[in-house]
Amino acid sequence: MARIQLENVKKAFGKVQALDGITIDVKDKEFFVLFGPAGAGKTTILNCIAGIAMPEEGAVKFDGENVNLTDSAHRNVAMVFENYALYPQMTVYDNMASALRSKLYKTDEAEIEKRIQWAAKTMKMENLLERLPSQLSNGQKQRVAMGRALVRTPNVFLMDEPLAHLDAKLRNSMRTELKEMQANLGSTCIYVTHDFMEAMALGDRIAIINKGRIVQIGTGDEIYYMPCNEFTAQLMGEPQINIVNAVISEMDGSLIATINVNGNNIALKLPEDERVYQKIKESNLTNVDIGLRPQNVKYSFEPKEGYFKSSVYSYESIGNKSVIVAECADDQLRMIAPNGLSVGIDSDIYLYFELDRAIIFDANTKEYIVRYDEQSFIDLAASMEEK
Amino acid sequence: MKTGKQRALNVLQNILLIVYAIFALFPLIWMVLISFKSDTEVFTTTFVFNPTLANYQEVLLRSDYGRYILDSVIVSGGAVLVSIIVGVPAAYALARYNFPRKEDLAFQILSYKFAPEILVVLPLFMIYQKIGLYDSYVGLIWVYQLISLPLLIWVVRGYFEDISVEIEYAAQVDGYSWYQIFFKMLVPLIKPGLVSSALLAFIFAWNSFTFPLILSSNNVYPVTVAIMKYLGTDSAHYGQLAVASTVSALPAVIFALCIQKHLVRGLSFGAVKG
Amino acid sequence: MAGLTLNHLFKRYDNSGKKKKIKNDFAVKDLNLVCEQGEFVALLGPSGCGKTTTLRMIAGLEEITDGEIYIGDRLVNKVHPKDRNIGLAFEDYAMYPPLNVYGNVAFNMRAKGIDKEEIDRKVREIAPLMQIDDLLDKMPVKLSGGQKQRVNIARAIIREPELLLMDEPLSHLDGKARQAMRTEIKRLINKIKCTTVYVTHDQLEAMSLADKIAIINFGVLQQFGTPTEVYDDPANEFVASFIGEPPMNILETKIVDVDGTFFFTFKDSNLRIAVPKRYYSVVHDGFCCKMGVRPMDVLVGGEDSKGTSEEIATFENLGDERRIGIRVGDVLMMLITEDEKRYKRGDVIKLEVREEKTHLFDIETGDRIREKEI
Repeated sequence: MARIQLENVKKAFGKVQALDGITIDVKDKEFFVLFGPAGAGKTTILNCIAGIAMPEEGAVKFDGENVNLTDSAHRNVAMVFENYALYPQMTVYDNMASALRSKLYKTDEAEIEKRIQWAAKTMKMENLLERLPSQLSNGQKQRVAMGRALVRTPNVFLMDEPLAHLDAKLRNSMRTELKEMQANLGSTCIYVTHDFMEAMALGDRIAIINKGRIVQIGTGDEIYYMPCNEFTAQLMGEPQINIVNAVISEMDGSLIATINVNGNNIALKLPEDERVYQKIKESNLTNVDIGLRPQNVKYSFEPKEGYFKSSVYSYESIGNKSVIVAECADDQLRMIAPNGLSVGIDSDIYLYFELDRAIIFDANTKEYIVRYDEQSFIDLAASMEEK
Repeated sequence: MKTGKQRALNVLQNILLIVYAIFALFPLIWMVLISFKSDTEVFTTTFVFNPTLANYQEVLLRSDYGRYILDSVIVSGGAVLVSIIVGVPAAYALARYNFPRKEDLAFQILSYKFAPEILVVLPLFMIYQKIGLYDSYVGLIWVYQLISLPLLIWVVRGYFEDISVEIEYAAQVDGYSWYQIFFKMLVPLIKPGLVSSALLAFIFAWNSFTFPLILSSNNVYPVTVAIMKYLGTDSAHYGQLAVASTVSALPAVIFALCIQKHLVRGLSFGAVKG
Repeated sequence: MAGLTLNHLFKRYDNSGKKKKIKNDFAVKDLNLVCEQGEFVALLGPSGCGKTTTLRMIAGLEEITDGEIYIGDRLVNKVHPKDRNIGLAFEDYAMYPPLNVYGNVAFNMRAKGIDKEEIDRKVREIAPLMQIDDLLDKMPVKLSGGQKQRVNIARAIIREPELLLMDEPLSHLDGKARQAMRTEIKRLINKIKCTTVYVTHDQLEAMSLADKIAIINFGVLQQFGTPTEVYDDPANEFVASFIGEPPMNILETKIVDVDGTFFFTFKDSNLRIAVPKRYYSVVHDGFCCKMGVRPMDVLVGGEDSKGTSEEIATFENLGDERRIGIRVGDVLMMLITEDEKRYKRGDVIKLEVREEKTHLFDIETGDRIREKEI
């Protein structure tokens, strides 16, 4: 129940600059996700907010009040640690009651009992309360760690990869449960993950972190549809976005993108879109990267008008659908296909780019230039923010 | 299913172990036997003799033996207590904090145990006489730290290192102060290591001979030194000597039996990883 | 010709020495399996289900309690592992650290005393296939996880085995590398066309790699079929919920008869779904069973939809797709849509279910209830 701000926070471990000027402003009751690859500094940000790590520069503010000098006990934060950090000598019940029995957050036992029963029910672990942590599986430990945070009414919930150690199935179902619970939390929540589905599904807003810096902050839709650079684009989406290098030329007022597929130059006309044309021309670039999500690459096993030829590298199921990987120059193109096709490896395949869904990046700086239908996605993102 | 060959091997193993056990335990058994013999029978090597409690009466009722035991308890117990009070925080610091030359310091503490006692005891004797610690409880307790402290610090440090630091963070976030965390969270977790290393340290201190022999005389008379008294100048009362030894060995034996399970697990569990 | 045949295979561990009675004393129970020559078969199941035990019995590393194993046409029950002509690539099948990659790959042939030129020819032949040609001079410690696995497999197939056995070869790799390696293995096996048995607990791995999947639980074979078969036509509730992510929605249901039409109804929910006609011969009014339907087969209806109105409990925007959760009693029923429309918790949608895609399971045994054959 607080607004959390970080202002230009810097932190180094020896010679490694773990955080290099992090500024974020998490609104009250917002579910804010820190998303990035391993070692990006996500956990360090949480530790700075919790008061476990002290920033060397910058300020951490709760509701506008600087808490740099407040110790973690007095910050009233609830934290879920990646390695659970359960107290091994205490039962699950005592673990969960621990904060409410401390001098600072003293609560009477009847109330503690009530809250623990509620949290245990929410996390589906009523039958575990009398056990010791050593008698629990990893999935159960993770739930206890969550439960221990949920019984509190803190300024902010800090969650460090709370689902990371679960197997894929349990992780996805727990994520859905968490999403359902989110509305009832009624408190600010800062959530660290390296799984883009968790980030997209849970975050009101997402901050992409890399090498101790913030790459982009925005809603899931903003980041997914308008990634600020290729790094972000590649992080968001499974299978990964296809990025194809293209040379831009102008012909009869149209822009032509020439791509190289296995030694053949293929000229593709960029569909007309006032904004895209204008931005590309303004940028004065001849070399751009075209980003296309796998669902926007169409395929055919017969030659077809407007399709170009390539060969199948692999075909595999990713659950409810499959991915065909085709060879394209040194790179590979991924596209979505239904399950159960009979696709021969190394057989011919004909591809078509739905360029009117493309995102255009600068090939040198890898920065975002423009995407098709930009305005509609800006509107979409804005409408989500209202909700 | 076991083949005949495996079974034969098993039997052989057991025989070897039994032989070794007899070899190792024989001196103790002999000591206990002597304690029940009269002086005339001490040197007979057969196991046939008339058991008598005369030696026990002589030692326990008619000498200052009780006082010697008490001295040993005070000195050894005091030494272990001081070691715990000093050693646990030291172990925590060595496990958790990074400071320059940390490993050197840790090694130096361990190195106290390397030097032969006889080597350090002579200079200590002179120093103790100068500063008035000679033949005092404080003096012996102090010097016993050389025995108990390194052991305790190294075992307990391993235990602290095994506790993930996130547990402390979690407790901090839960609203506990550092002292509360230390006593409520950490102490229970290091208890097995603390208990086993403290008891082991107690036994070592109890059995110490060189230090009390040289650094104390009439005021403080630990039992190990007192046993010597029964080797009188005129005659050696081996029976009484055996009684004194047997009784003084009892605490160590009882402790060791009580904590046997604890001891093996406690010492290896924490220390291996450290 | 069959590549591998398992005939009434049993495995019981000898627990006589232990005081505790173990409930499931059969690690493998009456397993029958026929793999065709050149087929890639995955043994799939949760941990402790007996899949690794089965593999070890095939390899000859574990005694067989009862049953027969044929490799090709040869009964191998009593054949020593080294004479079974199999290649092994295990999760922790360590390389010999003092030897470089070349030495590791060639080790087995050297041990057999095959002449040097022949060995060299074979190694050079297999290296490009496994994309380890650049690695031949490297020492094992310098290799990445994926490279090690490639060397491992090269070592296993250089003997030109009749049968290749792999035990979770990818479980040490992290997400991205795992996916890449999966693709590589698939291409490789496709090239060498060797009968392969592959053990995994990851349904995705099995689905994407295997020609056929044997799903095992508690030592008992649940279903053996192609990925499409086990996905679309599961033999029982276990298979249905084990295959697919998110898993199949499985709900307890009571069938009611409304003027001659049967409907699935659910406790504490107004959801009702028409029962497909083909099941009419096996159900009756008041019939209780479980109904299963994949999240892909649940749809958001348009405005004129006849589906029941349901309130959204969870809405997850995953970028590529969106998942909607509906509370049906105490179960969260999931549906997946690629529709761009955004919802929020509490929105009401019309819920439609592709009735013909529903499956019925027995409430007690979990067995599939199938329509009667005509």
